[in-house]
Amino acid sequence: MLKLSLKTILSKKNETASIIASLIERLNASVWIEDDTGNILLGNRSETCKVEQVIKVDNEPVGVVRGDETANIVAAIINQSIQKEAEKKKLGSEVLNLYQEINLIYNFSERLAQAIDAPTISAITLEEAGRVIKSNGGVVLLWDEATERLKILASSGALFFVEEKLYSEIRLLSKILLSGQSEIITDVSALSQAGILLPEVRSVIYSALKVNKRTMGAIILSSNELVQYTAADLKLLTTLALQSSAAIESALLYEKNLREAKEREEAMRLVYEATGKFVPYEFIGSLGHNVITDVKLGDQVEKIVTVLFSDIRDYTSLSEQMSPEENFKFVCSFNERMGPAIRKHNGFINQYLGDAIMAIFPRNAEDALLAAIEMQKEVQDLNRIRASNNQTPIQMGVGMHTGPLIMGITGDEDRMDATTISDSVNIASRLESLTKHYSVNIILSESSLKQIERKEGFHLRSLGLVQLKGKREAVEIHECFDSNALPDMEKKLNTLAAFNEGVSFFLNKSFHEANLAFKKVVDVDPGDHTAKFFYRNTKKIIDEGVFENGVGIVAMHEK
Amino acid sequence: MEQKLLIVDDEAHIRMLIGQTLEELEDEGVNFFTAENGEQALEIIQAERPQLVFLDVMMPKMNGMEVCRRVKKELGLNDVFIVLLTAKGQELDRQKGQEVGADVYMTKPFDPEKILEKAREVLQLQN
Repeated sequence: MLKLSLKTILSKKNETASIIASLIERLNASVWIEDDTGNILLGNRSETCKVEQVIKVDNEPVGVVRGDETANIVAAIINQSIQKEAEKKKLGSEVLNLYQEINLIYNFSERLAQAIDAPTISAITLEEAGRVIKSNGGVVLLWDEATERLKILASSGALFFVEEKLYSEIRLLSKILLSGQSEIITDVSALSQAGILLPEVRSVIYSALKVNKRTMGAIILSSNELVQYTAADLKLLTTLALQSSAAIESALLYEKNLREAKEREEAMRLVYEATGKFVPYEFIGSLGHNVITDVKLGDQVEKIVTVLFSDIRDYTSLSEQMSPEENFKFVCSFNERMGPAIRKHNGFINQYLGDAIMAIFPRNAEDALLAAIEMQKEVQDLNRIRASNNQTPIQMGVGMHTGPLIMGITGDEDRMDATTISDSVNIASRLESLTKHYSVNIILSESSLKQIERKEGFHLRSLGLVQLKGKREAVEIHECFDSNALPDMEKKLNTLAAFNEGVSFFLNKSFHEANLAFKKVVDVDPGDHTAKFFYRNTKKIIDEGVFENGVGIVAMHEK
Repeated sequence: MEQKLLIVDDEAHIRMLIGQTLEELEDEGVNFFTAENGEQALEIIQAERPQLVFLDVMMPKMNGMEVCRRVKKELGLNDVFIVLLTAKGQELDRQKGQEVGADVYMTKPFDPEKILEKAREVLQLQN
C-alpha cells in the first residue's frame, strides 16, 4: 500500500509544484489544488469551478484539482508525478527489502560462526527464520544414516507434529522432505490425516537441508493460521537452510572425527594393556624404555635380583590321571592363584613352564620369600578344595636365589623374545628341586638370606652347604617353614636349637655329634623328614666313610 | 519546532535506502536533507541545524570522523545527534568515534529496524 500524500508531491523539493505554478501563471488560468480535507495546497480558490478532477493514489482519493479547463492539464501533470513517485517508492521499497535480507544473512553468518554443534546451529536457524517468517513453531530434522531414522536437532515455538509418527511414517515424510525440494504446503490434509501434523496446523513451509547434492534433512515452519507464504518467504528460508546445512555438516563431521579419535585411542590403550600382560612392563622399564615399541634386538640390562622357581611335585603322575583339558584347567586355576601372590610382593612372572613358574623379584629377597610363603598358603587352600572333591592334594616346592641377572631381547628381527641369562636362574631352579630331597617347602640360598633385613620375622632353619652339580663352589641353603601347618611349625620351633646344632656339627665334620643331635630331633618330632634325612646321611657317612671330596657337604649328583 | 534529518553518505544507494527506511517519518512531517560529502554536510548542518544526522565514516576528502569532530568539538553544536555509520570490520573506529563526540555508532549493513527506532527516539516521535 502506497503512502503518498499530495502535499509531498507538491512540496518544495519536487519540481512539480513550480512547473504547475508557472503554467497557471503563463496561461492566466484559474486552478487550485485541495487536499482531502479541503485545505488549499496550491493556487487560489475562485468562483470558476468548471472542472473538478479527483486525484487518486492506489484508488484512494488524496485530493482534488478545481478550476477552468487548465485544471485538466494540471491534474494530468500531477498524475504523472504521482506515477513517477510511486515507481520510485516501489523500487526503493524492494531494494530495502533486499537490504534487509542481506542484513539478516550477514547477522546469521556471524551467529553461525560462533556455534559448533548441530543442535545449537539448528536452534539459531529456527530463531532467525521465525523472526522473519510468520509461524507458530518450527523444527529442524536430520536424517541419521546410522540409525536410519529422522532425528530432531532443534524445535521452537508450539509443537505442531506428533513425534512418534516421525519415526513410523517414514515413507510419506521421506517423499516430501527428502526430495530435496523447498515448498509451501497449502494443503496439509494428507499430513494431518496421517496423524503426523497436529489438527490445528493450517500452513507449512519447509526447505531441504542439502550438502553436496545430498539431502540431509529439512527445516520446517508451521502456522496455525492460514498464511499466504510468498516466494520471498521461501527464498529466505532456503537461504537460511543453505547456510545452516554447511555449518551442520561441519559440526557433524567434527563430532564424528572426535568420536573416532577417541575410539582409536581407546583401542590403542587396550592393546597396550594387553601387551603388558604378555610382556611384563617391569621388564621394558628395566631395559630403559618407556614403550614396548622401543624395544630392539640386543637390548639388555644387568641387575641383582632374586629369582624364584616353583614347581608342583610329581606333576607328571598327576597329569597322567587327567585328560588334556583337565590338565589345562588345572594349570590355569593354579596359575591364577600364583600370579597375584607374586605381584603383590613386587615380583613379576618371567615365564610359565607348564606346572612350573619362574618369577623375578627386582627389589629385595624379602619380597620373594613373602611371595613364596603366600604361594604355599594358596596351595594349602587349593588342597582343601581338592580334598572336598576327593582329589589328591598337591605339593609344591619353591626355591630362590639372589644374584646378577641379565635380561635381554634376543631372536631375530621378525621374532623377538625376552630372555634371562643368568647363573642365578640355574641355581634357583636347582634349589627348588632340592626341596623334595630335604622334604621342605621353601629353600632360599645364603645370598637371598643376606638381603633380608628382618630375619627374625621368618622361621628359618639352616640346611648346611650343598654342592650343585657342575658348580665349583658350594651354596649355603636355608629352609623357611613359615608356610607349614601350624602344628608342624610349632614342632620345628621346639627342635630348632637341636637341629641347628646338628647342622653346625655336620659342617664341622663332627658327624657323630651331628647324628646324635638329629636323633634328638627325630625322637621329639618323628614327622620331621628333614631331620631324618640328615640323620640317615650322617649315619651313612659314619658307616661308610667320608665322601670323596672330604668336606662336610652334601653332594648332589642329581640335577 | 520543525523536525529535520540529514543523511550523509557518498554512495547514492545508501542515501536512498536510509531515506526509504525512514520514509514514514517524512509523512509524519520530518524534513529530510541529504549530502554526498563532508563539506556539503557541514554546510547543511550549519544552515539547517537538523536534530539528527546519519553520518557515514568512509567518505573521500573529508570523512565522517572529521565532520563529527568539527560539529561537536569546534562548533560545539551539541543539540545535533550524530549517528556514525561504518562498514563491519572497521569497528576500531568505535573508540575514535567516542573521541570525536559521536552519539551513537552503527555498522553496515545497517539494520533498518534499528535505524528507524533510533530516529523515532531522537526525534521523539513515538510510533
